[in-house]
Amino acid sequence: MFFSGVLILFNHATIGEPAIIEMKDVCIRYDQGPEILSDINLALKRGSFHFLTGKSGAGKTSLLSLMYLAQHPSRGILNVFGKNVNFTDRDEMAILRRRIGVVFQDFRLIEHLSAFDNVALPLRVCNMNEKEVKKRVKELLCWVELDKHMYDKTSTLSGGEKQRIAIARAVINRPDVLLADEPTGNVDNDIARKLMKLFIELNKLGTTVVIATHSDKLITDFPYPRLHLNNGGLRIYEPRDFIRGV
Amino acid sequence: MSSRASALITRKQELPLHSDATGLFLEIMISIAVFLFAVTLAGVLSINSMLSAWNNSILGSLTIQIMPVNTVDIQKSREETLLHQDKVVEFFKSLPEVESATPLSDDQLWALLQPWLGDGINILELPTPRIIDVRIKHGEVIDYPKLAERLIDVSPLASLDNHKLWLNKLINFADGLKVLAMSILVLVVAISTGAIFYTTQTNLGLHRNIIEILHIMGAKDAYIAQQYAKRDAFIGFFGGVCGLVFAVPTIFMIAHLAAQIEGGIINEAKLDFFSWGLILSLPLFSALIAMLTAYYTVKRTLEKMM
Repeated sequence: MFFSGVLILFNHATIGEPAIIEMKDVCIRYDQGPEILSDINLALKRGSFHFLTGKSGAGKTSLLSLMYLAQHPSRGILNVFGKNVNFTDRDEMAILRRRIGVVFQDFRLIEHLSAFDNVALPLRVCNMNEKEVKKRVKELLCWVELDKHMYDKTSTLSGGEKQRIAIARAVINRPDVLLADEPTGNVDNDIARKLMKLFIELNKLGTTVVIATHSDKLITDFPYPRLHLNNGGLRIYEPRDFIRGV
Repeated sequence: MSSRASALITRKQELPLHSDATGLFLEIMISIAVFLFAVTLAGVLSINSMLSAWNNSILGSLTIQIMPVNTVDIQKSREETLLHQDKVVEFFKSLPEVESATPLSDDQLWALLQPWLGDGINILELPTPRIIDVRIKHGEVIDYPKLAERLIDVSPLASLDNHKLWLNKLINFADGLKVLAMSILVLVVAISTGAIFYTTQTNLGLHRNIIEILHIMGAKDAYIAQQYAKRDAFIGFFGGVCGLVFAVPTIFMIAHLAAQIEGGIINEAKLDFFSWGLILSLPLFSALIAMLTAYYTVKRTLEKMM
């Protein structure tokens, strides 16, 4: 059976250590429509690495948007960094978001800004010293091999270049959680492998990583647990289940 | 200049507000608002100075009229009337509240009567009443009905006119004008604030995507609101300056036209140094209003967003 893998529901986090993102009976619906996701129970511990899979329209982006606090659950409890988001004020939410890096499927770059200004954004919203901003952004843009396009408007760059800027923007702030929606979808295999290595390095440094992907190759090449969405529900599979073909 | 300050100047704003069509609309609107406000404010301040001058004249002076003695002989009538005038002047000079009592000369009387009687008439051949200008000491209060009774004892031909009757009507009229002008000022501020509110809301809708990105990156509402407040403060200031550039000549033109009116009533309407200071500082007020309106509109609207 397709979903006959080992189910690791509810307390995926190590006992005693608070989960970095925790969902209890969470559901999402838009306006008065049907529930997109129902009774989601999940606990991501610090330093974990997960792939998020599911068919198109399964709710991967919606689940990620809950994690990066772009919306509140329609029902249930969402705790992020130990804070119940239903009882967290707007300024506090902003501070929580600063600890989360997000890579969007459609990049969501600010088109009239340069690559530099886009990557600098998470640092500037924290009012970081401009000298430090310059240092960090230049360093990271060199690393993603976009130093030559540093002052080019992002509207003039290719899809792959935009993707790398989006990733640089997500990691510039050394986030505690990195959420990526199809981060390797627009880059070639070499760049994809390099980006995955970056995510793994960040994970080794303690960053919790969740990558939404359709790529079977990515899942087989990098054996990490998988959060699978189907029919509005979430199941969690360990890598061995995937290798066994579940 | 510190690196932080220079970075703030050279750095591009995340929200492309500078290239926005709503900015030009706001600037034109604020120019018109400040123009109307400045002209109306000048009117209010002038009316105030006029009212103050009139009130002072009511408080500080009164006029005594002595009717001519009714005889066929004009010369005799004139002499007897002058005797009454002297008695009344002496009476007023004896009062402790009175600073001075000065009878008007023939020339001054002629100047008053000429507009009605025309040229070519000898005032000495007419049974004209005499006028005494009485100045009251500053701060002194006169009991007018009692004074009028005592005046009749001194001279039955004398009557007291304390200007109050006719000036009260003018003061009421001016007060009405002032209330009207103040309502216009309130209306101008309300319309401007409303326009800033709605254009800011429209603008927030236009840049919703960028605002969402900023929020996801961890920007607080105040960070976004400050960008709008900064932009609108500039618009408010430059719009205000433009409005003032048109308003100042207009005020001078109206003042010049008012000065043409004879009778000295409107001439009392003058703008002092403080009034001009207030009018010239309007761009600062328009900048402040625009800035605060934009800031709080953004904050309020963002509360309904993610």
